[in-house]
Amino acid sequence: MEQLNEVAIIWGAEVRRAVRSARVITLLALYLMFTALVLMGLAYAFHQVQQQIDDQIALRGATQEAVQPQLEQLKQSFLGGLFSDDTALLESLAKVPLIVLLTFKVTLFFLPMYIAVMGFDQISGEIGPRSIRYLSVRARRSSILWGKYLSQATLLGGLVLVVDLAVIAVARWLTPSFQPLAMATTLLKCWLAATVFSLAYVALSSFCSSLFRSAAVSLIFNLFALFGFWLVNAIGEGASRVVERAAKLAEEDPSLEAPSKVYTVLGWLQYASPSHYSTNLLHPHFLKFLGTTGVYAAFAAAFLVMGYAVLRRRDL
Amino acid sequence: MSDARESDARAIELRKVSRWFNGGTVKAVDDVSFMVHPGECFGLIGPNGAGKTTSFSMMCGYLRPTHGQVRVMGEDPGRPGALKRRLGALPQDAVLPFGAKVGWLLTYWARLSGLPQPEREARESLEKMDLAQAWGMEPQELSHGMGKRVAMAQAMMGAPPVLLLDEPTSGLDPKIAAHVRGVIRDAKGRQTVVVSSHNLQELEELCDRVAILDRGKLQQVGTVSELTSRSAEFRVQIARGTVPLEAVKALKGCAGASLPQPAMLVVQYDAKVSPDEEMITATLQLLIGHGVFVLGVTRGRRLEDRVLELGEAPVVAAAVVSAS
Repeated sequence: MEQLNEVAIIWGAEVRRAVRSARVITLLALYLMFTALVLMGLAYAFHQVQQQIDDQIALRGATQEAVQPQLEQLKQSFLGGLFSDDTALLESLAKVPLIVLLTFKVTLFFLPMYIAVMGFDQISGEIGPRSIRYLSVRARRSSILWGKYLSQATLLGGLVLVVDLAVIAVARWLTPSFQPLAMATTLLKCWLAATVFSLAYVALSSFCSSLFRSAAVSLIFNLFALFGFWLVNAIGEGASRVVERAAKLAEEDPSLEAPSKVYTVLGWLQYASPSHYSTNLLHPHFLKFLGTTGVYAAFAAAFLVMGYAVLRRRDL
Repeated sequence: MSDARESDARAIELRKVSRWFNGGTVKAVDDVSFMVHPGECFGLIGPNGAGKTTSFSMMCGYLRPTHGQVRVMGEDPGRPGALKRRLGALPQDAVLPFGAKVGWLLTYWARLSGLPQPEREARESLEKMDLAQAWGMEPQELSHGMGKRVAMAQAMMGAPPVLLLDEPTSGLDPKIAAHVRGVIRDAKGRQTVVVSSHNLQELEELCDRVAILDRGKLQQVGTVSELTSRSAEFRVQIARGTVPLEAVKALKGCAGASLPQPAMLVVQYDAKVSPDEEMITATLQLLIGHGVFVLGVTRGRRLEDRVLELGEAPVVAAAVVSAS
């Protein structure tokens, strides 16, 4: 109970300090600006594509209703490439304006980097100048780690909500058929998905920040870790595609040689990256979403346990 | 005596404590043992690199010993939450965190310490340090001295039973340093205070007992008078005249006399044969009788002299500790 109280006090204090910190405010503004840029770019692209489609329809003397099934099919195959070929997921995503999904995907790609930039000094920034000594005689080191982690997660949750609100508003402006109920559901889904996704990466930044006395080194290490995760995910997905394609070809022609086992092993690498599981965060089946949340919680727990193990043993 | 009673009699205990860095190549603290009794003011003295701050950091739980055992109020300071509300610490070189006002920071720390009225506690502590005006200031707006006193205020909040103060007056002007010493003096008896300092005069004035550290080893531990041999030596500052050295040596109880400097007579004596006041009076009478003009008399060696002797002194850690 006493430890929970410590965590709550540190969490509250850190959030309060962060929302008054010029650096955090600047970073929040920069991220919002970046998202606005992505949104504007995508809105412009969508507008152009829509205009071309309308021109083509007019040129061929067809009606919007007549080409609608083809357009839907085009969207489905685009979403399949972007997310996954899970039918239930694709059906659910098809109801959401494409601009929302694209912005979600782009922001999700950059979110880990933003988290690293925002939270790289949460622990190391206190160890370097030794201000952590004022805390460590009053609170357990685990409470310091948890309190700071939760404050970062809270800030991220707030930021993601603002970003999602902006995206939904723009989508509504571009897609008048986007109804309030669908807007609310999409907002909730996207916010939950991004928040759950952030949990693991905030924990990663807490871990990296616990590792070093210098905040700059923590940031560099964090960015290297992100690059490492991105790399193993890319290698793993690439290798998996090779194995899947080979299996399909082998079905057509059994005489074809199976790909090397190395591809299968490399394919497993993708499971080591938190980003690999992001697709199912928008899954319409609650259990799938819950399972994915569990995976992210497990990543977060692993990073936090490692962070605590380091912080527990280190000199302050 | 049972273990519990023994630990009651020891607010702090270091038993054969060593702390090495860089894989053992740097022995910041080497096999140091001493204890601090409840309510006493204990000083840690030594030159730079003596191991004072490392010992201090181990008592606060900032560092773990490589070998040996540290106990504060019977607890291992490294155990999570072991010293909450029981220890106030003034770390030597910890920077006050930016991004919040002093009053808010102190209230936050008081709340984290679990004090019942955090804001009141924070205000009172700051007032005690004569720094009420800093309440609404940001740490980066504080001068060095003000920052030091804010750090001191956070250590004093809630009157914890053990106070560990690392260089509490370094960088302070004489007036503020005197005020801080007054605060420490007030805490004596009610709280166990450990003060680490380069200012030996300050430690002589404040501490009941002191430990002298040098190059990581404990050189000596004892009361200030023991360390300065106050009861068996005095110094006479000479203004002018020729000191009759042989006549002084011939005085009853005199064990030795010398003139390490032309204007300084140092007399060692056996206090059992000739009590302090008799020996000092007899020496002064003798000097005045020989036309020597005296400027002053100081009992004992100064602690500074004792510390300056460190280079020549053998390490006596084990023997002294067993005596303490």
